[in-house]
Amino acid sequence: MVRRSFTAVLERNAIFDAPFDTEPYEAAWATEARCFVRVLEMDSSGPVRIAAQLSPDGLFWCNEGHAQISLEGPGLYSFSLRDFGHWLRFHADFPQEPLRMKVMIYLVLKE
Amino acid sequence: MPSASEQATSEQLRVAALRANPRLSRFNPLPRILFADDFDEGINGWCELIGNHDGNLDNVRSVVSDMRPPQLSNCTFFDTGTHGSMSGTYALKLATRPKPGHMAQAIKRLTFQKRGLVQFETYFTYKAEQTFRPVGCGEWDGNVDPSEADFGDFTFSNDVCEGEHGARYHCALRYVNTDSSGQLRQSWMYKTSVQKSTKMQRAGLSGPVLDHHVLDPRDWREVPGGRMPLCYNEVPTKLNWHYLRWRFDTRLRRNVELQLNQTTLTLMELDVPRYDHPYRSLDNLLNFCVDVRTHKSVRNFLYLDSVLVSVDW
Repeated sequence: MVRRSFTAVLERNAIFDAPFDTEPYEAAWATEARCFVRVLEMDSSGPVRIAAQLSPDGLFWCNEGHAQISLEGPGLYSFSLRDFGHWLRFHADFPQEPLRMKVMIYLVLKE
Repeated sequence: MPSASEQATSEQLRVAALRANPRLSRFNPLPRILFADDFDEGINGWCELIGNHDGNLDNVRSVVSDMRPPQLSNCTFFDTGTHGSMSGTYALKLATRPKPGHMAQAIKRLTFQKRGLVQFETYFTYKAEQTFRPVGCGEWDGNVDPSEADFGDFTFSNDVCEGEHGARYHCALRYVNTDSSGQLRQSWMYKTSVQKSTKMQRAGLSGPVLDHHVLDPRDWREVPGGRMPLCYNEVPTKLNWHYLRWRFDTRLRRNVELQLNQTTLTLMELDVPRYDHPYRSLDNLLNFCVDVRTHKSVRNFLYLDSVLVSVDW
């Protein structure tokens, strides 16, 4: 059988102006994951830092520690991660200055 | 044409083959199995529902803009780890946001070859997310957990369209665990109005949609005999799988019956609302939908171990 894969759209044309977490997503079956962030609009240069977080239960979270990206304006951004265990989510840290952005966030999983 | 004797033998062989197959013997399929989905094998074509758009996702109606991607879950919980599905490891999981009124819906899209009987069978279970500061009603007595009242409802539905010159309708059966005020109802409901479509909105039908399935959230009636407490099993981390069998008839455009474990409800007398205007580009449409909705700021989950759909075509 070919390797199973799945792409989840975690946020769709969503507008944020403050730190946020994406919804928990179960990825225990997957070996590799990749986050894509498409910034449709950003009204300053940021940066907004997107980082992977892990959880054994979908309730309590820690930073993955390596997988992250800085969003500095409209465009497509991506980073990958492995050895994530079970649940995945992405945390967004905003700069102190006011910032508003509109994004698509994808989680791509593969066996 | 096979003789009556040959037909009887053929049916006996079919039933024997079903009963000898551990993956199929727990179902009661009609003559032709259209699909048998085991979620250990993958997502099997169940995807997130989204409303229609013109490429600009800002034009998706809000009620159908965030139905959440389905997940393959091994049913892991904070207290005991992996529960696993009824057979194998993975189940299809729908998860709401922790936001009152939010619904997660997955859809599988087919077309029909003939009109006739269609039967949807599944082994499913449902849970509210574990909370540590109970949001639900009542104190914990060691038996009934307040989290049972954190679970809203789940719905099994279809989308059938015969083409531009035929009918379009949705059959929908909702298990209301709690109503929007948080009171336990534990009853099956059927809907009495059509689902507002993007076409209807663009044609000028105004007003917000508070319930995806109906024009007004009050457009539901209890199925006769539909009061049916289920096995929530006390706490948010114990899963008991339930058997459900729902049969509808696309020739009669009606529900036929709903079986949950030992109880079978007759649905033939229930009216199924139809659209009063035509839809193009939907010839022979046959979609299957499952959804879960929360009434509180607590995530609600619906798990399907497996799904089997069969027909009499």
